[in-house]
Amino acid sequence: MNGIRLRVGTVVVLAGALAIGLRGQTADESRFAIVQNLGLPAIDEGVVVDSTHRPGAEVELRRAAIRASVARSAGNGGGSRYVPGRVIVKFKDTASEGARASAMSSVSRTAVMGARPNYADFDIVRIDPAEDPEAAALALGQRPEVLYAQAAYRIHSLFKPNDPMYAEYQWNLPLINMERAWDIQPLAGSSITVAVVDTGLAYQNATITANIPAFRDDEGTLYPALGNVTIPYAAAPQLVGAGNAGRIVAPHDFIWDSTTPLDFDGHGTHVSGTVGQLTNDGIGTAGVAFNVKLMPVKVIESTWDYLFGAPHEGDDSDLALGIRYAADNGAKIINMSIGRTGAAGSAPVVESAMRYAVGKGVFIAVAAGNGYEDGNPVEVIAEIASRLPGAVSVAAVDPAKAHAYYSTSGSYVELSAPGGSERGFDRYGFVWQQTFDYRFTETYLNPPDSYTAPRFDVLAYVGYIGTSMATPHVSGVAAMLMQQGITNPAAIEDALEKGAIDLGTPGRDDLFGFGLIDARAALRGLGLAR
Amino acid sequence: MRLGALFLLGSLFAATASADDRPPTFAIRPFFLFAEQSFAAVDTFDATFGHSYGPFFGGGGQVVIHDRFVVEVSASRFQKDGQRAFLSNGVSYPLGIPLTATITPIEVTGGYRFRLSSRVRPYVAAGVGTWSYKETSSFADPDDNVDTRHAGWVVNGGAEFRLHKWVGLAVDAEYSHVPGILGQGGISQQAGESDLGGVAGRVKVIIGR
Repeated sequence: MNGIRLRVGTVVVLAGALAIGLRGQTADESRFAIVQNLGLPAIDEGVVVDSTHRPGAEVELRRAAIRASVARSAGNGGGSRYVPGRVIVKFKDTASEGARASAMSSVSRTAVMGARPNYADFDIVRIDPAEDPEAAALALGQRPEVLYAQAAYRIHSLFKPNDPMYAEYQWNLPLINMERAWDIQPLAGSSITVAVVDTGLAYQNATITANIPAFRDDEGTLYPALGNVTIPYAAAPQLVGAGNAGRIVAPHDFIWDSTTPLDFDGHGTHVSGTVGQLTNDGIGTAGVAFNVKLMPVKVIESTWDYLFGAPHEGDDSDLALGIRYAADNGAKIINMSIGRTGAAGSAPVVESAMRYAVGKGVFIAVAAGNGYEDGNPVEVIAEIASRLPGAVSVAAVDPAKAHAYYSTSGSYVELSAPGGSERGFDRYGFVWQQTFDYRFTETYLNPPDSYTAPRFDVLAYVGYIGTSMATPHVSGVAAMLMQQGITNPAAIEDALEKGAIDLGTPGRDDLFGFGLIDARAALRGLGLAR
Repeated sequence: MRLGALFLLGSLFAATASADDRPPTFAIRPFFLFAEQSFAAVDTFDATFGHSYGPFFGGGGQVVIHDRFVVEVSASRFQKDGQRAFLSNGVSYPLGIPLTATITPIEVTGGYRFRLSSRVRPYVAAGVGTWSYKETSSFADPDDNVDTRHAGWVVNGGAEFRLHKWVGLAVDAEYSHVPGILGQGGISQQAGESDLGGVAGRVKVIIGR
């Protein structure tokens, strides 16, 4: 039946696209276009049992490898920690144009000032891609005219997926006492806007045309060019269906420089679902703050964004722009289920943006990282959060409230939330939400002879695992706290931490931070004596 | 009932024993009490009620011997509706969740009265008491509500004015210290406040000579 629906849907979408001619936002009109609001509603595949979206899974590793390989094919230095040819610089306000030019030329003869992006308080200096941007940034940072300089480090999502349904699958919400929290605040954040700074969101129907080039995977296998293709795209019904399209606020895409941040990955849609999936409608899964407004801000480039020819790759500068944009456009909570590893303090551009946002009254939740079994490296963005009252880094627990095997530990871990684990729990250890059925989107995981264009109109309830999944629990509860009356980001952090269920070593510890968030305890606040 | 009858008998006895204008050598006198207390736990009460003072209503009885020595037993009650809150960095955030606090002190004091004039008797007293404290709020589990009692001590001083042969008006100030109830949890713990007492201005209407 679903096969028939898929075929019929494809024919109708193609016909519609051809009939009206393709108009839409593009970065490269000849290669990629989106026709907004043209397309059929999503096809619901129900629960898709998928154990691949978890840290360390073989398929997950292949996803990352292909993404890096695709980037290398495109000459973008995929696999390196930074984007070649770019240095992010913040000059002192007192530095003259001449002094700035002198500073740039002193570190690289090829350095050229790029146009300052919207929402930036920093500049992008272009250098020869063959040059070492870290060395250039280090030299530039030592100049008296410069406040900070850094390479354009890539950021990425921190998730791991699998399937649906509250009573059977959503152990994660009772674990943080959500049912009793909803008793206290049935509005569930209706006046609050949560910005999900991520891979985008499946928030509208559309028809996409793209010219997909050939690429080689991580093993050198050639995947043929698909040429000009028309791709159906559908909104996630459990996020914006049933007349809820109005909950989407000021969407923006910093990967395509557009106002159409469509998710070509599934991560951002899944994360948004945990924040605010439509709830109590008798369908699918529940979300934490199910009445919030959602602001999709795309700062992560997916494999398909690469192949579609996106102009930006998703580095620290894109993240900083996304944070500033969200703060300037009404977001009160920013969810950042993203991160990168590196030396603590190596993302001043992101830190500056986070301080700016918190200074404007925005609370930020950041994933603490999934690298515990991979050397437990420092997560740069999460580390910033730990030094900023009003921003928190979020570790993950499994359904038994134990430390999730992948959840990065460190002095910067501040809170824990359900991130899931398949170890010992199988499918019942995943965090489930509606997002794309990866079998229709991640076609590059197939052998070349069955590699086809993706379709983004087939949605399902899919389970993911990771600190990316833990973080939106905190963002959702924070939204409810803000609606309840705690308007200061630092006070929200304080309430979450003081209301947390202490796990592990008594007091704050490096695995759980202050403990597992307790939505009811945080929302209920305190009496005089108890 | 029995206590009321005792007061009435005492008053009659006092009246009988001093048919002239001289104070009786022994008198038992009931009184009504109104007090306005400024609580020591300022931040705690501010966060919950919007201010840190409130009224107590009650009554009690006194035994006065030779017009100089007095032993007093009183009971009073404070009850107020507020809302649960969160206190962070000195700022309180009301959460709109209804809360009711009830304080019921029972105090026993002993004091000395000075003969300033025929109509005015300044006095000082000190004593101990037991404070019952109940706190209930919406969305509470049984364990979330508070029902406890703890001992404390008081000192007070003021003056009694004779308005009529059978009616006196006493005005005093009382300081109470009540540890052990606040400071174990809730806003009071966050605020570092552990005293349920405070300073009260009290007015007593005394029946009897």
